[in-house]
Amino acid sequence: MEILWIIVLTGYAVCVAQSIFALTTKRPVLRKPALVALAIALGAHTAWLLLRGLRTGRCPLVGVQEMSAFLSWGLVLLTLLAYRWYHANALKAFIFPIVLVLAAIAAISPSPSQPAPEFSNSLQSVLLPAHIGLLLLAYASFFVAFGAGVMYIIQERELKHKRFGTVFYKLPSLDTCDAISSRAMAIGFVLMTLGIVGGLWYSYSRYHIYWQAGPIEIFSVVTWLVYLIIIQSRINAGWGGRAAALASIVSFVIVVCSLVGVRYLGHGF
Amino acid sequence: MNIVLVGLSHKTAPLEMRERLAFAETLIPAALAVLVDHESVDEGLIVSTCNRVEIIASTAAGADRGIECLADFLSNFHKLAPDSLNGHLYRHADAEAIKHLFRVASSLDSMVVGESQILGQVKEAYQHAINAGTIGRVLSQVMHRSLSVAKRIRSETGVAQNPVSISSVAVELARKVFQDLTDKTVLLVGAGEMGELAARSLLDAGTGKLIVTNRTAERAEEIARKYSGGAVNFEAFYDVLPSADIVLCSTGGTDYVIHPAETQRALKSRKKGPVLFIDISVPRNIDPRIANVENAFLFDVDDLESVVKANIRERQQEAERAEAIIAAEVQNFVQQLRSLDIGPAVVEVKELLSQMVVSEFKRNRKRLGDLSAEQEAAIEDVLIPALVNKLSHPMIVHIRNAARDGQPTQMMEELRKMIRIE
Repeated sequence: MEILWIIVLTGYAVCVAQSIFALTTKRPVLRKPALVALAIALGAHTAWLLLRGLRTGRCPLVGVQEMSAFLSWGLVLLTLLAYRWYHANALKAFIFPIVLVLAAIAAISPSPSQPAPEFSNSLQSVLLPAHIGLLLLAYASFFVAFGAGVMYIIQERELKHKRFGTVFYKLPSLDTCDAISSRAMAIGFVLMTLGIVGGLWYSYSRYHIYWQAGPIEIFSVVTWLVYLIIIQSRINAGWGGRAAALASIVSFVIVVCSLVGVRYLGHGF
Repeated sequence: MNIVLVGLSHKTAPLEMRERLAFAETLIPAALAVLVDHESVDEGLIVSTCNRVEIIASTAAGADRGIECLADFLSNFHKLAPDSLNGHLYRHADAEAIKHLFRVASSLDSMVVGESQILGQVKEAYQHAINAGTIGRVLSQVMHRSLSVAKRIRSETGVAQNPVSISSVAVELARKVFQDLTDKTVLLVGAGEMGELAARSLLDAGTGKLIVTNRTAERAEEIARKYSGGAVNFEAFYDVLPSADIVLCSTGGTDYVIHPAETQRALKSRKKGPVLFIDISVPRNIDPRIANVENAFLFDVDDLESVVKANIRERQQEAERAEAIIAAEVQNFVQQLRSLDIGPAVVEVKELLSQMVVSEFKRNRKRLGDLSAEQEAAIEDVLIPALVNKLSHPMIVHIRNAARDGQPTQMMEELRKMIRIE
């Protein structure tokens, strides 16, 4: 397992360096090597997840190591998707550093020591991973929205102060930042809804109650409500780009608190 | 074989002179025919634009003769006294000529460094010469390399990147605010010339609708008709403000025509995203406090000019990098050209074969017995050279083909190996 992580971390480190460099200098920067590094790193990353899954006979979503690995993997895929849809090269510079950090956490964290939870039927063995996986992907999506929101604020400041640094030319248009942010938020919201539903269903299937008012459930629902309000306001109150960008930034901070809350206040498996 | 270049540009000659020496497109085939008709000129090409006239040729008669010939051609063809061109013409040969050509094609010699037209113009000139049959082995290599160096300069340096005119800066700003210009509406307030120019640039860049308003309604309608847009009453243009994504202001008036309070109200009812205000009038017609309105972005002439200046400086810096790239490419290419010169290669092949045949003849001389002086002479002066020519002919054809395809050195190595067994 160690070797795979070394490959993954090196590859992502190259990508981080290249994307930040590309954002801040005018010269055309080594795109091809970075692309190759990304392909190799992503390949190794995927391989690690698959191998862990095969070795344990379940989805690799248990414990800090696996969740970090899965979250960073999801972030890379979402960033690539954003690139495919919007050609926003600059987004990488905001997302990849976090990918690297999460991958590093996964690399140094120990494998889960507790045994996997006992499932009484196969439905539970699908629902729990689905619940966790969907929520993690939702968080990844919200982070992309956060990144796009940050880009929007930076770009807007450059335009307002009429100070055109190199970054100005490399960032995508305001419209694009806004579009990425709103779409990522919408996708995240859908994923989160499905994830919560999956959690409720799992809980009922296993414990015969839908809702155990523990910290994780409360924080998740609060997050869900926050995003619901934001999305509604965007549509109905016609929030301008700036307000929407700030909203995507603030809401993600709430998500982070939610995750931190999960870690420190304990969770039930 | 030398490459020579003679010409004049906006840097060396005034417009009247350039006009007199320009070649109309229809005249170029005839001009090229006259050009290569000269004994000293093997291949020729003419580039003629509003800013320069360049004649490029490959000559076997030596650089000086070639240059003289081109200068004469220019003055004769346009029926001007040869001395009238002195001081305006630049003359280059070989490496200098290639460097000049590379620089011109890469737009480094243009009035606006980084402009994109010159490359197309050079390509066209090349095509004309191909059609006229005046491009051969040498110039085709030269032109190919010029075009690819130009492409390299444009893609690897920032020489052609950021806009350097107010209108194109305006378009660039629009692209930074809006992703897709095709469904955006431009409101032109005031029908001044600069405003119209900027509006046209935006329309060319793909914006959707144009709405024009002006104090005199006829002028507004005239412009609206020209660009298939709509015209509105000057008193009422605030009503259409919410639907405008880009507002260009260029009236001749001295007061502010766009005020913050009404703009804020208009934007509130808009719900459609940011608005870009561009004030190209002097004195300003848009109240600068509009910049503080949320989701409104305001740029006046000074702002646009400072962007233009910064971009020009940037281009100049990049031009320095480009010159370095070009110097390296010239060196590289000159070496490649030398290998195209197959004269020495042909001589070498014949020498090698000749030596082999003569030494075999000398070694086996005794077997031939007594030969009369005539017979000896016939063998040495007729048979052996004929033999050498016949043997070397296919090899020379292959060397020529290899030179045309650009691989002569390889071919020469192979040939040497084949002729000489160590």
